[in-house]
Amino acid sequence: MCMRCLQLTRRSLLVGGGAATAALQTGIAQARVRPQDMVPLIGPGFKPTERDEIGLWKEMERVEEEIAGSNLLITDPKLTGYLQNIIGTVGGPAARDFRIYLARIPDFNAMMFPTGFAVVFSGLLLRMRNEAQLAGVIAHESGHFLRRHQIRSWRDQRRKTDLFAIGAMAAGVGGAGAGVYLGDYVQLAQLGTILSLFQYSRAMEAEADAMGTRLLAETGYPPIEMANIWQQLIGEENASARYRGKRRRRGGIFDTHPSSDARMADLRADAAEITIPGKAYDSRRERYLATIGPIRATLLDDQVKLNDPGASQYLIDTLAQDGWNGLLRFYEGEVWRLRNRLGDEFRARQSYAAAVAYPDAPADAWRWHGIALMKEGRAAEAKAAFRRYLTMKPDAPDAAWVRQMAG
Amino acid sequence: MFKRGLVVAAASVMLSGCVQTRQFADVQFTPPSGDYKLLVLRPDVTVGSLTTGGMVEPRADWTDQARRSIVEALRTQQASRGANMTIVEHRNEVPGVTAQELADVERLNFVVDQSIVIHKYLGDYLPTKRGKGLDWTLGADAVKLGQKTGYDYALFLHAEDQVASGGRIALGVLGLAGCFIGFCAPNVGGQQQLDYASLVDLKTGEVVWFNVVTAGSQIPGVKFGDLRTPQGASQMVDRLLGRMKPGRAIRQQQSREKR
Repeated sequence: MCMRCLQLTRRSLLVGGGAATAALQTGIAQARVRPQDMVPLIGPGFKPTERDEIGLWKEMERVEEEIAGSNLLITDPKLTGYLQNIIGTVGGPAARDFRIYLARIPDFNAMMFPTGFAVVFSGLLLRMRNEAQLAGVIAHESGHFLRRHQIRSWRDQRRKTDLFAIGAMAAGVGGAGAGVYLGDYVQLAQLGTILSLFQYSRAMEAEADAMGTRLLAETGYPPIEMANIWQQLIGEENASARYRGKRRRRGGIFDTHPSSDARMADLRADAAEITIPGKAYDSRRERYLATIGPIRATLLDDQVKLNDPGASQYLIDTLAQDGWNGLLRFYEGEVWRLRNRLGDEFRARQSYAAAVAYPDAPADAWRWHGIALMKEGRAAEAKAAFRRYLTMKPDAPDAAWVRQMAG
Repeated sequence: MFKRGLVVAAASVMLSGCVQTRQFADVQFTPPSGDYKLLVLRPDVTVGSLTTGGMVEPRADWTDQARRSIVEALRTQQASRGANMTIVEHRNEVPGVTAQELADVERLNFVVDQSIVIHKYLGDYLPTKRGKGLDWTLGADAVKLGQKTGYDYALFLHAEDQVASGGRIALGVLGLAGCFIGFCAPNVGGQQQLDYASLVDLKTGEVVWFNVVTAGSQIPGVKFGDLRTPQGASQMVDRLLGRMKPGRAIRQQQSREKR
């Protein structure tokens, strides 16, 4: 093939390796983006004027139609109105332009699409302890739109892939002309391009965090709640990993988002910088709990059925920091019962017994409490519990069976 | 060196572009003709530009132009076959059914289409479906749609086209120039068109006919159809829907009758 191929010498490898290491280092540790520097890049009623962005918006029309009509959506007008109201508060100049959809997916996530519609997962409503935290996530997503991240990332990708394609072709043709083989360098450049795309994506996320903190503080929410979200998430991931005998992922060079630890640290610094001493901030916890109250049982139910006892237990304990109630105690029992390790049955029984002591115990707590009592041979108490279940849920699918047990 | 470069270039030009179509039909399928009612659900058309680096940049103006041309070509073609055709652009445009019901049928069709592609086109053949032609159905939902709307068939159509940008063409030219000095790479990938359509019989709910057309070239600048132009759009509609073959049982019956 080629007789005088340029050998990949030790020196060139060292240089390349050094460059790659530098890329990796900068990839992980990024300078913090200051909230003060984050100004919205668009005003109200933004419409794209450039060709590529118009194309992107066009493509999104169908996507939004699909999402808006998805049967995964929770369409309760009270909840969707609440979310719309929050994004209308923390959405900056585009507050009136956003659309927000709530999907029933038991996972911690929210996303913003290029045309200004956001999707929030129901798992987020379970995890957030007050309105400020929920508003923080929504403000972060608004930040993506206000800072025009989607089109900027797209252009970054286009520019870098263009440069790489031209460079690779020039290296091939030029190398052939000069009689040297540059394929190894092309591969190194390819890795560099890929890493730089991921790095850009992490930089955008850091911007959105800073922008979000700013929006949060400006609308009277305590900005520190943004950092608290990440503290909770890190705790949850640790608990989940520990239960499975694994270690939590710490983030790396192929991540699109900065690691949770980095985000928490940066957000703490952001909050300290932007909080005005003496100003009154309100996390609006009562309003939040009153609004999500009616679906909290569904959210907990979806979570415990994920078969992730470590995370579920952590979440319930975290929510219980604001006070135990019948619902939380019942689902604590459910986590044990479904985990079903040695001793879990006893733990579950205790939780059910604790749950029914609260006035807000769900009907199913009485059912499982009854079964536990029956197993212990306390038939009279068990029957009373079953009767209580039947009064609360007369149309339960298993009503006939429970009625028979209740005697 | 010079000569060898040319030979390689010529060979790669010849090998690198083509139009392929491959259709499957239910064994009992007879192509609709005469007076039939056809519902075309939200034709999914996107046309983009292939950037120098190989990404696809969606283009709103080209997409709108292509959709208009395709709809026009479809109307002409179906009218000549006697169809009474309705093309809907939005899910709330069909009287008698809700947007949700239509969305359900569309989504079901989407996964069924995916299944057809996996098991009929991508090589993951199913022994249970061997010799059965196209053996997929949308079931009761599609029948209900037919009953509520009075349509005989539903047609689902997807068309996407990527046109090589100036930069992509230049990259190919550079690769071609390289052939003369021993680095031959003209085939970096140019226009790519993918179209597919499925026809659902709304009386039985079955997917009775399915066709995929791919048209593309490895060499930027060489085109095998262009959805942006009315000619390219009608060429695509013709490639995709022009030659519907009857199912095997019907073909056998026809050849017996001929003899």
